[in-house]
Amino acid sequence: MSDQKDLLGLFKTVAERVDRRSFETVTRDSVITDLGVDSLSMMQIVGEMETELNVQIPDEDLVEIVTVGDLCSKVERRLA
Amino acid sequence: MTQGPVTRIEERLYRIYMEFFEKAERERRWSLFDDIPWDKINKDASDDLALCVETFASVEMYLPDYVAGGINVVRPWFGRAWWQANWGYEESKHSLALGEWLMRSGKRTKDQWFDHYNTIAEKEWVAPFKTARQMTCYGALQEQVTFVIYVKHRDFAKREGDECLYAIYDFIARDEIAHTRFYQEVVAVLLDEDREGTLADLAKVFAEFKMPGVDLVPDYDTRILQMRDQGGVDRDLFIRKVYLPVLKFLNIGRHEMLAAQRKALQERGEARGAAGA
Repeated sequence: MSDQKDLLGLFKTVAERVDRRSFETVTRDSVITDLGVDSLSMMQIVGEMETELNVQIPDEDLVEIVTVGDLCSKVERRLA
Repeated sequence: MTQGPVTRIEERLYRIYMEFFEKAERERRWSLFDDIPWDKINKDASDDLALCVETFASVEMYLPDYVAGGINVVRPWFGRAWWQANWGYEESKHSLALGEWLMRSGKRTKDQWFDHYNTIAEKEWVAPFKTARQMTCYGALQEQVTFVIYVKHRDFAKREGDECLYAIYDFIARDEIAHTRFYQEVVAVLLDEDREGTLADLAKVFAEFKMPGVDLVPDYDTRILQMRDQGGVDRDLFIRKVYLPVLKFLNIGRHEMLAAQRKALQERGEARGAAGA
């Protein structure tokens, strides 16, 4: 699960579940706020990904996440 | 005398209010007439600064609705009801100070200011949530957001060289953070009494949260863009300065909140879907 493609796929799956719309065209470079995801949905997506992968991103790291890739990198670091 | 659960809550809320009130009376009171350096207004400050002041004042000017809506919903709770009355007094000074700044700076005439109030009064604020507990959760978030934005705009006033407005924003921000702490302490009591139910209400409020001026203040969308630009308010600020601090204060884990939020976000999605259908 820790390769980039799978994490991006997981992001899309979770985001679709949380925000109830398609995120098919999202890439790691996508800026999360540009996707129309509000702050609360963003926290939910992060939390759902943490639960699925059994990792926990520290709160102080959450505020550094700008792109989908940033989120994937934070998760990758916890999985390593 | 029987000590039922309701009595326990009443006593705890009364104690929280008395601690809040004592601190307010001894340490936090400020006078519109004696404490604001009106001679330090920068009359050359930008129109952007004035627009932001007017926007803050506009939101504060729905005070009659906030008081009427708020005090009736908490009427059965002694401490909460008295707090609401005191809150109204403190908030009334905010719009007065901001309005005075607009007129004394020459940014608005008296006529413009009263015309603006008349426009404001044409619409009525309606409480966004139905129960006292939900409104308490709303207060905890809304006051924290308001505090954060006033602090940001205090810096804007400083950049514009307006020591008077800086002082006004500083006094208001101190009031707002005190209000935040009161609400959050009440939410903590409610969590002790019914953790699952209070978490569900908190999640609902997070999911459906919007500031009180939305759909009411004239040209709100344009004003908010200006407020965000000038105050350096970005979307992440909500997470950094509101969401995470509120959870931390209330000793709620992110993942504990997550479970409650699933349902709230699902309901929000369904409501939006129904509205768009």
